[in-house]
Amino acid sequence: MHAAETATDRRRAGPLRSLGWLLGLLTLVALGAMTLSVSVGSSALSLVDVLATLSGQGSELQRTLIFELRLPRTLSAFATGGLLAVAGALMQVLLRNPLADPYVLGLSGGAATGALLAMLAGLGGVLVSGSAFAGAFLATLLVFGLAHGSGSWTPSRLLLTGVVVASGWGAIITLMLAVSPAERLPGMLYWLMGDLSYARTPWPALGLLLGVSLLLLPLGRSLNVLARGPLQAAALGVAVRPLEWSIYLIASLLTALAVTSAGSIGFVGLVVPHMLRLLLGNDQRLILPACALSGGILLVLADTLARTLIAPEQLPVGVITALLGVPTFLYLLHRSR
Amino acid sequence: MDLSFARLRRRVGLAAALLGLAPALLAAPICVIDDAQREVCLQAPAQRIASLSPGATELVFAAGGGERVVAVVAFSDYPPAARALPSVGSHSRLDLERLLSLQPDLAIVWGSGNSAEQIDALEDFGVPVFYLEPENPEGIAQAIERLARLSDSQAVGRQAAEHFRRGMAELAEQYRDAEPVTVFYQVWNKPLMTVNDAHLIGQVIRLCGGRNVFAELPRQIPRIDIEAVLAANPQAILAGGMGEENRYWLTEWRAYPGLQAVQQDNLFFIPPSLVQRPTPRLLEGSRLLCESLETARARR
Repeated sequence: MHAAETATDRRRAGPLRSLGWLLGLLTLVALGAMTLSVSVGSSALSLVDVLATLSGQGSELQRTLIFELRLPRTLSAFATGGLLAVAGALMQVLLRNPLADPYVLGLSGGAATGALLAMLAGLGGVLVSGSAFAGAFLATLLVFGLAHGSGSWTPSRLLLTGVVVASGWGAIITLMLAVSPAERLPGMLYWLMGDLSYARTPWPALGLLLGVSLLLLPLGRSLNVLARGPLQAAALGVAVRPLEWSIYLIASLLTALAVTSAGSIGFVGLVVPHMLRLLLGNDQRLILPACALSGGILLVLADTLARTLIAPEQLPVGVITALLGVPTFLYLLHRSR
Repeated sequence: MDLSFARLRRRVGLAAALLGLAPALLAAPICVIDDAQREVCLQAPAQRIASLSPGATELVFAAGGGERVVAVVAFSDYPPAARALPSVGSHSRLDLERLLSLQPDLAIVWGSGNSAEQIDALEDFGVPVFYLEPENPEGIAQAIERLARLSDSQAVGRQAAEHFRRGMAELAEQYRDAEPVTVFYQVWNKPLMTVNDAHLIGQVIRLCGGRNVFAELPRQIPRIDIEAVLAANPQAILAGGMGEENRYWLTEWRAYPGLQAVQQDNLFFIPPSLVQRPTPRLLEGSRLLCESLETARARR
């Protein structure tokens, strides 16, 4: 009797206690990754210089390098990675499809169309980001409206609508690339591959990441139930329809902000949630906050490599996320058999 | 007597006519080596030239063959007469049907810009193909001379080539012993791209007594980051821009007041069309570039 009670208690307290440990550990790794990212770059600064600069000393050049270039970019990378991983985890729950990623419903296509239109018109900077966000917003509304339509609504209907709309965006993007003047092409291709040098300020993305992570914490149980199927969830008293629409809108908002700040970086949103599921089991209360941190860590490390591998030349970060993610993921998948 | 004189006149006339025809009948074909080191031979000077890059169009016009150009590609905007010529698509995706229907007897192609398959197809259709890709100022002068031979306008071509050669040589002479100025040339802003020493612009920078801070990078147009520019801390920043009068790429550098170039206000705009194409307009672009560096020198 007594033993049984302790076991139940332990089971209840288990996920939460391991959540604390896990988040603590991941936060430490994240801080380490960010320190590394701020310490290396195409101009050589020693770790001592970096620490001195961070604590308020250092030359003007060092301060510019650290505070105006590396730190904002590192924070942007972290926030973007976190947003993408959380959005991917949410999409996988929503669509109950392991192949779902933040872009599966055509959101990045809408954002890319917006961004490329702005570039084609010769605009730069804020206008490209603004146009990308408008495109992402339009794509979300379009899929929402079309999938809502009349008649019954199901995740598979949402998925089909999204995939078809995404192909439409793809065609428009190819058309724009085909008619663009040659000198505009490198900028467009780098944007499409995902590139953190477009990131301007990290704060909106970081704020959203923190806000959404806190907002999702109390929803974890409902998401766990939903992941097993809508009927079961409804039977257990979850308001399925409103929950599904909120997930869709939240995931869209996360992806829109990520795409807006760094272009469409592939792979993070697909692989990070799966990796964590293989390691931790499919408990959304653990997975979602762990995604926010791990996605951030992966992208910070990938961007550090992209900036430094052949410095001062730069690689697109999307290439590195795939090169790092694919073998890691395959290894985990192989081990979990 | 009268009769024989008439006969004689007729004979002389016939001989003269034959002599007049002779050069056309007996002339050796015009053979010129192109930039792929192939010998391109024409039986007669080209009458219908297809110019398949914007740079080639400028060079053909400079060589005096402008009136014989029957086809150009998109963005062939100089000289203004080129804009009125029929376009056969973008340089990377030619409309072969349109091109062949214009019946060119010579195609000036761009090895690294046109699609290799389409160049092969042109050759299969029997259109003589001349590869043109000048890689340095002397290459530009020689390109003009060779194109002039193909279009039988040597007088114009020789003069244009000499004018260009002399202008560049004067610049080289003028800035031979100039104090070195460290330079960053910005090709594009997002992504940030520059040139190395092998690039035509890199060569012009050297000619003007500049020292390109990214001279040693392996690729001709490397993509770099802002950090590398700050670390190199050039004395002058030169940039083109989107369009001919767009200077906002330069004003963006003012966000880094630690840069020498910003402190001394050495941010110079060079119209991209004057330096980014290997054409005779490079002379004007080089003069502008040299003057900019001279200004930077004076501000030290």
